[in-house]
Formats: sequence, structure tokens, C-alpha cells
Amino acid sequence: MFKEFAKGLSITLKHLMPGHTTTVDYPKKKLEMAPRFRGLHRLVPTQDREKCVACYLCPTVCPAKCITVESDENAKGEKYPRVYEIDLLRCIFCGYCVEACPVEAIEMTSAYELANFKREDFNFDKERLLKS
Amino acid sequence: MVNLTIDGKQITTAKTSTIYEAAKENGINIPVLCYAKKLLPYGACRICLVEVEQMKGRLIPSCTTPVTEGMVVNTMSDEIRKVRKTVLEFLLVNHVVECPVCDKGGECDLQDLTYEYEVVTNRFQGEKFDLPTDEINPLIERNMNRCVLCGKCVRVCDEIVGYGSYSFINRGFETKIATAFDRGLNCEFCGQCVSMCPVGAILPRPFKFKARPWQLKEVDSVCGYCGNGCTVTLGVKDNQVQTIRFNEDTGVNHGNLCVRGRFGYSFVNDTKRLKKPMIRNSNGILVEAEWEEALSAAAEGLKAAGSSAGFIAGARLTNEELYLFKKLSRTVGSDNLDHSGGECYRGVTEGLFETLGVKASTGTFPQIESAQAIVAIRSDFYETHPVVGMVVNQAIRRNEAQLTVIADKKGKLTKLPEARTLMHTPGCEINILNALCQTLLAEGIAVTDGVEDVAALQAFLADYTPEAVAQTVGGDAEAIKKTARELAAADKVAILLAYGLPYSAYSKELATAAANLAILSGCAGGAGSGLYLCGEKANSQGAIDLGIVPGAAGRGVQKMLQGAADGEVKALYVVAEDPMVTYPDRQAVEAGLKKPFLVVQDIYLTETARLADVVLPAATFAEKDGTFTNAERRLQRVRAGIKSPGEAQTDFAVFTRMLKKLGQVTAETPTQVFAELSQECTEYKGIAPADIGPQGVVWGGESLAPTKKQLKTVAGLVPMDASYLLLTGSCLYHSGSLSTHARGPLSVVPEAYVELSRSDAATLGVKEDELLKLKAGDQTLQAKVKVGTRLPAGVMFMPYHFAELELNRVYKGQPAIPVKPVK
Repeated sequence: MFKEFAKGLSITLKHLMPGHTTTVDYPKKKLEMAPRFRGLHRLVPTQDREKCVACYLCPTVCPAKCITVESDENAKGEKYPRVYEIDLLRCIFCGYCVEACPVEAIEMTSAYELANFKREDFNFDKERLLKS
Repeated sequence: MVNLTIDGKQITTAKTSTIYEAAKENGINIPVLCYAKKLLPYGACRICLVEVEQMKGRLIPSCTTPVTEGMVVNTMSDEIRKVRKTVLEFLLVNHVVECPVCDKGGECDLQDLTYEYEVVTNRFQGEKFDLPTDEINPLIERNMNRCVLCGKCVRVCDEIVGYGSYSFINRGFETKIATAFDRGLNCEFCGQCVSMCPVGAILPRPFKFKARPWQLKEVDSVCGYCGNGCTVTLGVKDNQVQTIRFNEDTGVNHGNLCVRGRFGYSFVNDTKRLKKPMIRNSNGILVEAEWEEALSAAAEGLKAAGSSAGFIAGARLTNEELYLFKKLSRTVGSDNLDHSGGECYRGVTEGLFETLGVKASTGTFPQIESAQAIVAIRSDFYETHPVVGMVVNQAIRRNEAQLTVIADKKGKLTKLPEARTLMHTPGCEINILNALCQTLLAEGIAVTDGVEDVAALQAFLADYTPEAVAQTVGGDAEAIKKTARELAAADKVAILLAYGLPYSAYSKELATAAANLAILSGCAGGAGSGLYLCGEKANSQGAIDLGIVPGAAGRGVQKMLQGAADGEVKALYVVAEDPMVTYPDRQAVEAGLKKPFLVVQDIYLTETARLADVVLPAATFAEKDGTFTNAERRLQRVRAGIKSPGEAQTDFAVFTRMLKKLGQVTAETPTQVFAELSQECTEYKGIAPADIGPQGVVWGGESLAPTKKQLKTVAGLVPMDASYLLLTGSCLYHSGSLSTHARGPLSVVPEAYVELSRSDAATLGVKEDELLKLKAGDQTLQAKVKVGTRLPAGVMFMPYHFAELELNRVYKGQPAIPVKPVK
């Protein structure tokens, strides 16, 4: 019985030794996210506009109904999102919007530090999403 | 009947069916791209290929193959799947795949089939089209890169509309759909091609990039413009009517619509609509007020006037609202009740009542399609009721009906195949009708069984021989005779007569003459035949049925306005009408509206509303629940798709509140009110609200039997002697003054115009779009010139819809207005 007790304790002690901890010293140190991590969304820009063509597939597929798109016609006669907003307080980060996008205009970044002070600040409009 | 087996299912179907139709009737789905219910079979797309045991060795297109006895059909097998997939691959070789930006995405037949048949790769390579899109016109966008050459647009434009805008051009891979000389589309913009296109090649421009099909809530309602009562399916999103959706299963129109119905919806969403009640304050300025205040003021004013109050309704109100309006007038104690300018409908209904004993069309629209002889009185019939015009076109093309147009100007109807036009001088329709009756009687081919006063009419018509009439008013004597003989020979005859605010002159005489012809040609009371009395507004027939007419001691509209000017009528309540713009004789109307206490209930601050003491904001057809009765006596449900803007309320709600203010308790919902009115109104007796299904209910049955056949003599008009005569009437793109608030119709016809013939334009030295001044009496009118081929020399035409023109300064109900062009 004592033998088992010592064995168990030794494992515990081993983990106490420097270099054996699994906890990361956040925020001094940050983990590198896996490539498929689903963080804050990003709208992909092209040279003069966003890649998004306002096809409404992402708001349609979104289970949390947090995406607002309003399409319009630009000067060149192309379809573009006049409004593109994501309400992050509602978003469940499922990534369906990325999966549904036919033109790969939306992707999810590794940004996860999304805490904020005001409700309004969680509403990401087109400009913010293009820069994120 | 024919027996056959489809997918192991025993089916009995009509001999005339195709395999596709037989399968569809029995719930077996065969994919199609080029098939449409209302078009003739075509067989262009080859998607609908099936296997038939008796025709082994090849696949059979089901949409063009008629059924035969004992046929054994298989609609799905590995081979069929493979072939259909190959067909899709062929189509996708040059079809640009831009589904994310294509407005058809989500309801595109090609997209659905591609998904169903899992066409993820393409074994064939080819160049994608890069043709420029046609965006020259304001309503229809054509992107031929997306076209699958099903030919539906070509066929609908030809077979149904009879316009023929499109055709196939070029050969092989280069084949495309084009307009004449491959220029931009410039047609009457009914948008039938838009509704037919299975892909995104033809789309409605006003709806471009507005929403995706799956986001729209569909509400079946009835179009609020003319009396044809087409079903319009509102596509609603964000409390706005975004578009009108295609719906061929509900109603009488088989999905056919005109430019107004399909593109004239935007007034519903207009930001300029009235949103709050208004009251004229002590300084004489209209200011916004609360509902309670405005309703009290209106109710008190009307109550104070009592029996000297006048009630004027428009015919765009629902039956339930009209019923409440009538109740309101009774509650106040007034007999002064009328609608639609009075004269506009009174003449025709009286004329019909005296001769046939009815006040409505005697047939239904589907019957026109099987008629052998059709007489359209006035070529404007197509302009006022375009979708009935499409039915006429089908009668001609499918059933070889002979159309005769009694017209003072040419138009769409006169251009239909084999159409015979009896051109007469303006205002002389009656002379031609009399000549037709004269021929029928003189040649002994008239139906005279049970007809009263035949001899009297025959004696009276001695002066109206075709030769004499042709000499005085025009028209060809031989053509008149031929028409009369055809009418007598035909089993099924349709006589079409439209009425409306700009056609108030000699209306009783015209209806009487038309009824005489209907009696003598055997049209009245004949099975499948009908005399069609087509009202200008959505619920014109309902207003007549419900008796929105002066009571025993009451005044009609004209007398009310006159009485108001004389101080005898002390208060007027005008609902859904803009008399200042649309009623004849502006000066008299203005004098009548300015003096009394005036309550106006409308959706805009119209010219009439500007004169009012109390203005109440009302709702459009898209915000109402209730019923409309169309020109063929069909009651149809109107359904609310959106909520009224601001504090605006439906006329129904305003009337119930007003009645409450006057101490009357009424039923709360339109359904309850309908139940009540169906007890009172003899025509609607026995119709329960629940009976009014997708196809509506026709009161009086498919053929309304005349209660009598009483011929009446009616004198023709003497042609007016003036070098230039101005006609007024409706133009195709507009209806009343309402459509002048809708962007679609406005983008095609934005302002008033004066149409004249080329020879007149040359004599007067004016060109298209130049301003022309016309002097009539002491008034002058000025409008842009439109040179056309419709009018004979010496005749001009101006549409009456536009407020800015003030046409009713010179139009006082006369058959035609003598004018003098001034430089």
C-alpha cells in the first residue's frame, strides 16, 4: 500500500518540477493556436473592395442568426455588401459561415481576446471585420 | 380517356395529355426546363427524357409526347440519370456559374437540377459566353450569358402577350435570344418573360440585389389596380413589398400580369405616404394631429351636417370597407353616397340594367378563351385591362377566334392576328354598334326569341345601315356586315366593354347599344358567351354590388359637388379618391371641395387632401384583409402582407373607429363584416368567407342569365366637327392616379404626353419630346409630344393620370375635346 502511495506522490512531485507544468503563464505568454482554430472572423479584402459578394449564404446558414448582410449595387454594377455585421455576443463560433461562403470571403482568425466593456463594441461592422 | 402505366402506377388521363402532364397530375415528378403549363409543348431542353417500353432503343421527351393506350413509362433509371446529367453538363459548358451574385440563385431550375444530379465536374470544355447585359430599359434586365435557350421567353411573348419581342438568332453554339436587330429591349414591359425564365437570364431590375428568394415571405393577394383581379403574390421582407412573385396556380390570371401589376408595387413602400392624421388649424394650415382628435373632428363635422353630408368612395376599397362606408353614411343619416365619380359607372350599369336586367358581366374570363367571335369596344380595352387582352390573344391564337375592334385609335388589340378594326371618328362607337344590330336584323340572322321591342328597334335602325354609318363615321360597310354575320354564326360570343373615369361620356348609350348587340347576336344568356363589363378599379364591381350609389333622396357625386358649391351639402367625406385630378371638370370639383367641411382619407397628401379640413392616413391593398370583386363577378381574398407605415390605418379600422364615435357597434374583423354583408347584399347571399378559396367565388355562376331581353333604341352621335380632336383615356402603364406614385410605371411613362399621328406632327412641325400647347376653350394644356402610328390624322390622345397636367380643366365629360394647337 505504501509503495503505491509513494508512486503516486512521485508523479505529483515530478509535475511540480520546473518545465513540467501544462499551465501557460497567460497573458505574459500566449499559446500558438492550431491552424483550424475558430476565432474572430475576418472579411477578406481584394484590391479595391471586399471579396464578399453579398450572396446571403452566411446569414442563412448561421445557427445563431448573428450575421446581418444588406446587399447593394456598386458603381461598377457589381453586387457588394453595403452592410456586413456580426454580433459577436450571439456568435457561437461554429464556422458554418466560413464553410458556406462560395467565394472564400470570410475566414476565422486565431484572435480570441475579444473581451470588451460595452455591448456596442461586440458588434463588428464591415470595416472592423476587414481589418481584423 | 387513356390508360397507361408510369413507374408501375396505373394512370387514367385525358387523351390530350402528354406523358409529362399525366405524370404531374399523379404526383410523379419529371424535371423540366422548357415546359410551362400555359405554353405549347416545345421540347428544347431534353431534361424530361423518359423510357417508354413501346419505344425501346431511345429516350422519349415526356413533355412533347402524347399519351397512348397501354403505354408503359419509366421516369427514372440509370440510363435516364446518366443522360440527364450529360444534358446538364452540356448546358454548364457555357453557362457562367455566378450563382452567388445571380438573383435567381435559390429558385433556379438549373441550379436545383445540377445539385440533384450531382454535376460536380464537367467532361466537356468550352468557352463561357461573355455577352454584354441588356440594361437599357428600366424594368427588365437580360443577361444572356446565363441563358439555357429554353425559349420560354420567346414563346410567352408570342403566345400569351402577343408582342413578339424576342426571337432566337444565330446558329449552333452562337445561338442566343435577342430582340429585333439585337438592340436593347423596348416593349410594353409586362414582365411575362421574367416570370417564365427558369434561370437568371431575365430578371426584374427593380428587385436587383434586393433579397434572396428564400428570404421572402409570400403573400397571395389581389392586384389593387384594374378590375381584372389578377392574383399577385407579394414577396415581403423587412415590412416592405420587395417584388411580385410568380404564381400560376392561384387566381384567374395563370401567373400573367401586366406592367402595373408586376412592377407597379413600389407606391406601397413609398416614404412620402401619409403617416399621421392632419387637421386644419385656426390659421388655415394642415398640421399633424392625434388619431382621437382627428377622428372626433371628422365625426363631429359629419354628424353636424347630418342629411346634408356627402360620402364619396373610391373603388379601390375592399367590399368590407365599402359596406362599412355605406353603414357610416346611413348612421349619419345621409343618402348622399356614391363612388368613382358617379358618371363613370352609372351610365353603363343603368344601360345594362334597362336592357338585360343585370349590372355585371354575364360571363367569366376563362370563357373568352373559347369564344369564336370577340368584339372589343374601344381599343383602349387593352390599355385598361391588359391581362384580359392576353386572354383575347389566346382565343385568337389557340382557338382561331375572330376579333373585331370598334376603335377610334389603333392599339395592341388591332395588331393581333386577323383582327378587324372598325375605325370610326371619335365618340361614334354607338353608330357602329347600331350598324351591326341593323345588319343582324335586316339579314334575318338576329336572335329574336323572347326579345322585346324588336320591331321598334328595327324601325329605328333604318338610318343605320352599314353603308350610311360607314359614310358618316368611318369603318368599312363590308367589314361591318361580315362582323355581324360572324357574330350570328358563332356559338360563343364575347363582347368586351370597359368603363372608367376618363370614359364617362355617352356611357349609358354605349352600354345600351352594346347590350342590344349582345341580345341580337345571342351573346346574352348564351352558354359560354358573355357581355363583359370591365371596371377600371380593383373593386369597381364590388362597389356596384354593394350599392355604393345614391339612396332614394340622395345625390350622386356630381350633384354632391354642385350642392357643396351651393352650400347645400355641408360636409364631404372622400375616401381613396383624388377628385381634383381624376374627376371631369376641375373647376366645378374644386368649387365643390373648397366650400364644405372636407374629410379626406387617402394614402398620399393628394391635391384633394390639400383642400381638406381633416386628413386621415389610410392603407394600400398590400396592408389590408378583405375581398375584392373583379369584373367577372369573382370574389377573391385580399391579404395583408405588410404593416402600414407610421400611424396609418386600414380604411376598415378607420371606419370601425368612426362608427364607434358615432355610437354604432360593428363587427371587429373583415371576416365578420363579410358574413354580415353577405346576408344583406343579394348578390353575395350564401357565400361564406371560408368558400373564397384560391380561385375565388363567382357570384351568380359562370354564366349570369339576363332577367330580361329588352331592346332599347339609342341614337348614335354626330361626328364632331373640329380640325383637331383630343381624346383622353388610360394608358397601358398607368391606372387612375395611384400608379403615378409607383416607380415602375413612372420609369417608363414619367409624365403626361400628347400623342399624335405622324401626319399631324408633320403639319404642326413638331417632333418627338417637343412641347406642344393645345388650346381648348379658354384653357391651355401643354405636354410633350409623342408621335405614333396609333392615331388617325386630326385626333390626339392624352392620358388622364397625371396631376401636373390638369387635363380635367378641359375634360368635362365630353366624348372628345376640340382643341387648337398653338405655337
